Amino acid sequence: MDESSAQAEWRRWLDDHASRFLLFARQKARSEADAQDLVQEAILEAAQRGGKGLPPPLAAVYATIHRRAIDWARAEDRRLGRELAAHDDTPQAWFDSTVEERERANLVQSAMSRLPSIYREVVTLKIWAGLTFAEIADALGIPPNTAASRYRYGLEELRKLTREVVL
Amino acid sequence: MSQFDPELLEKELRKLEPAKAPEEFVRRVTEAARESAFTPRSESQSRYQSFCWWQRLRWLAPAAVAAAVLLSLLAHKPEPQPQTRLENGSTVSSPKPVLKADLVEIDEQLVASFDAVARLPDGVPVRLRCREWRDEVVLHDSARGVTIERQSPRLEVTPVRYDIY
Repeated sequence: MDESSAQAEWRRWLDDHASRFLLFARQKARSEADAQDLVQEAILEAAQRGGKGLPPPLAAVYATIHRRAIDWARAEDRRLGRELAAHDDTPQAWFDSTVEERERANLVQSAMSRLPSIYREVVTLKIWAGLTFAEIADALGIPPNTAASRYRYGLEELRKLTREVVL
Repeated sequence: MSQFDPELLEKELRKLEPAKAPEEFVRRVTEAARESAFTPRSESQSRYQSFCWWQRLRWLAPAAVAAAVLLSLLAHKPEPQPQTRLENGSTVSSPKPVLKADLVEIDEQLVASFDAVARLPDGVPVRLRCREWRDEVVLHDSARGVTIERQSPRLEVTPVRYDIY
């Protein structure tokens, strides 16, 4: 594959998936800049592991975002940087919405951010990333049955938080 | 109260599309991916990659300490056994004082974490993520009431590509 066709393939792949990677990363990072850095690093790392210069498997990117987010959270210097950045970083909307849908999008974002992270990440990967439970289990390092039960519980909690407006 | 229908909720949630990635971000990642795929590796990058590979084996450090302690216990030659002479002239051996670990605990604790910036011999800048760990191996012989504890410090230095920061 030559350089220009590879670049076109990367561009198509990013147009299809970058918004979903960012949705997952925004839930783990404290600022939009951190979320973008997290996704960029994860994509490049997963692509380098593949070693063919082609877009990597989606599950590998989500797994790398998850692992790197944990590493970042542990680093003292990054924590300080994020706290300083959080003061002037406007929260990013997680979903695209028309005027009519805006209220529902805000409600779902608010409910998702109140959901414990172990449920939120599974719901996000299943609903918006379209991964199977086996792929989610690989990405998060948990058994597939745990992924499935967290998903069910996460949906129930989400239902409680959004009951009156969504349905 | 209406019955909870997960499929209906899934359908409603799927109607929401994740917010579009900023154009500038997509361009930046496309460019970085292209560079990463088509820029020939320099010697320093190759060295960097092989160093990263070795870093992936860092779990071997505490395991090696545990193995060394176990081997030293196994290789320990017991003292000649004391013998007791009986009245009829025969001798019997006293019980052997052998240590048998029935519980081995391996642990690591993060002591400090910091970043440093350095240059490779050919001038390429590299960010180094440094972490100080304390590895700990504890062996218990509950039958003899003996506990052996060994701690050793470990410095983990992970190079992070400067251009992805």
